[in-house]
Amino acid sequence: MPIDIYWRIGTHGDQRSLRNRLVSRGDWSPVVPGSIAPGLRGGRPDGYSHLDHMADVARASELSGFVGGLLPSFPFTDDPWAAAASLARETTTYRFMIAYQPGFLHPVQAARMSATLQSATGGRVVYNIISGGGGPAQLWWGDKVDHDDRYARTSEFLDVLKGVWEDGPFDYDGRFYRVEGARLPAHLAGQPFPEIYFSGSSPAAIEAAGRHADRYLSWLEPFPALAAKFDQVREHSAATGRTPRFAVRVDVLARETEEEAWEEIRRGWRHVDPARLTGPGATGDSVGWLRGQSFIDWPVRGFRELEAAPNVWGGFHLLRGGPAFGLVGSYRQVAARLDELIGLGVDAFVLAGVPHLEEAHRVGERVLPLLRGPVRTPVLTAKGNL
Amino acid sequence: MTASRFLITLPIAPGTGPDPRAAAPLPPFVTDPRRGRYGPFDHLAEAGRAAEMAGFDGVVAPFTPEGEESLVTVAALLRQSRWLNGVAGFHPAVTTPVYAAKLSASLQRFSDGRLAWWPVVDLDPAVARAQGDFLEGPDRYARADEFLTVAKGVWRSEDYTYEGRFFQVLAGGFHGPLSGRPFPAVYLSGTSAEALDLSARHADVHVFETTDEAALDAGIAGLDARAAERGRAPARALRLRVLAREDGEEARAHARGLEGEALAGSYEEVAEALRGYAARGIGAFVLEARPHLEETYRLGEHLLPLLAEEFAHAD
Repeated sequence: MPIDIYWRIGTHGDQRSLRNRLVSRGDWSPVVPGSIAPGLRGGRPDGYSHLDHMADVARASELSGFVGGLLPSFPFTDDPWAAAASLARETTTYRFMIAYQPGFLHPVQAARMSATLQSATGGRVVYNIISGGGGPAQLWWGDKVDHDDRYARTSEFLDVLKGVWEDGPFDYDGRFYRVEGARLPAHLAGQPFPEIYFSGSSPAAIEAAGRHADRYLSWLEPFPALAAKFDQVREHSAATGRTPRFAVRVDVLARETEEEAWEEIRRGWRHVDPARLTGPGATGDSVGWLRGQSFIDWPVRGFRELEAAPNVWGGFHLLRGGPAFGLVGSYRQVAARLDELIGLGVDAFVLAGVPHLEEAHRVGERVLPLLRGPVRTPVLTAKGNL
Repeated sequence: MTASRFLITLPIAPGTGPDPRAAAPLPPFVTDPRRGRYGPFDHLAEAGRAAEMAGFDGVVAPFTPEGEESLVTVAALLRQSRWLNGVAGFHPAVTTPVYAAKLSASLQRFSDGRLAWWPVVDLDPAVARAQGDFLEGPDRYARADEFLTVAKGVWRSEDYTYEGRFFQVLAGGFHGPLSGRPFPAVYLSGTSAEALDLSARHADVHVFETTDEAALDAGIAGLDARAAERGRAPARALRLRVLAREDGEEARAHARGLEGEALAGSYEEVAEALRGYAARGIGAFVLEARPHLEETYRLGEHLLPLLAEEFAHAD
């Protein structure tokens, strides 16, 4: 089974490196000389937007052998549906993995948006279904539904979405959704249904994943913990007769030698104040985040103390926004760790590195060829809507 | 807001022109060299490019459950144009106002402020139920009012809380680069008291859909009176189908083959009719013409130049 390897796109700009958290790409920092997309020409904005940089990252990913990219969604980011629709016609094989929370879109609307994008891209839409981290961010979105109910809603949402997609006209009367005679327009019906990457670490999430996920997508964790989590998903899937597949979201910092890789971390660590690292503590109800923090022996003073297992480093969130765990090491070490994950049953990765543009090329050229697992080669298919 | 004088309607609904979806399947012994290359979305993309190149101010992607989703469509078309405004028609019950605003904030960033909204409130009940919406009657306008209030609230305030009948937000509001762009121009339509009230509160452009002069005058007067009470003055647009040709005889001969009504005439006759509507207070036109690609070019080359002077962009 070939391995699908995605690369992340920053939907909130990007840093020049992990050495400094300053965002210089996209306009999340003041636009000054040295800013990119927008940049300055003769002291005036050059007319480029963050979308232009995202387009470059998408093209770099396509050229470097990735099958597509994950477009994350948070209150402070650009929107993945907007970005995917804007970039649909500028890429050829690139699959858009759109992160979204089912609660914010009606499933009939999501079906028509997805079918339209499938038509525009020749079937290159992939879902990353997230059900929200809770806390103030959830209320910021205007969503008051609590943790376990959010997964129940996600489950209903996917039932309706699939019903509309496959069996219209479709009726449904549930706790969260009710429709009567819903269907896709005839000329948009029959498109492939987007693959579902499902995220969430709580029991409610794992149960919903067992029902709906094509691939269960987890943040990176130390491998034994990850293996145990996969077993739980397998158990829940068995009840529904489905065979789950697994994907892992992994930041990579890979260099020619391991020393070089850690030197990058060391330079970034100069801006981290170890006295302010306090261990577990989160404002929402994200189980995945608390799990991540539990793998570290607190308190932490030096950056190597965050290495929970060889090359598995839990301090990425201190050097850039996003999850804590990723791989640090030589090209060979990083490839070997990815192969170990494949051995646990993983057959898809969402990789990421800072800065995303340059690191897409580096990882595509230096790490992917070392993988033993066969990597899926993106193939240009016909647009598939005739 | 950029004032859009001339907008053209995209071929979103099926059967609106000779496009790939409308073509009868070819028999198996024929080779179709387009297979897999030319699909419905390609036709939309071409129509968008045509509107851009022919000098239209914008395109309207109407809300219809029978066609492509308009926000996705407009996003793709804005990306492939420099000047075009894109009006996305959608049913305001199908996303939360925060999410609609969030998605649109990105589109405003990507397009330098060329997105517009056309929330469609007055739907046939069966169509609404197929979108998951079981609300009927004047409540729909109350919900649309809340939708627009919340969307504008999170857009314009960094700390926005709202507790309504239909929507709620706690400490919402856009920050950083997502804030500070103009809110999408709001297009609304309808002739009921509730529709005109909603426009008086929220519309930047109210679109009339009748060419009956008495009805149009009454509608404009009703809108203006309601808006004036709130110190507002939405622009007024007229949506109509046109069929313009070199001479009136040719146009009317073509019009005989059409289903439904169209303003048919020579380029000068059509221009004169539009000047007449302008004299009644219409400032913008949402035109429909088929087949889209050809007629968009035709109107851009023959009709718009006749109106260039009186509709010169004053702003």
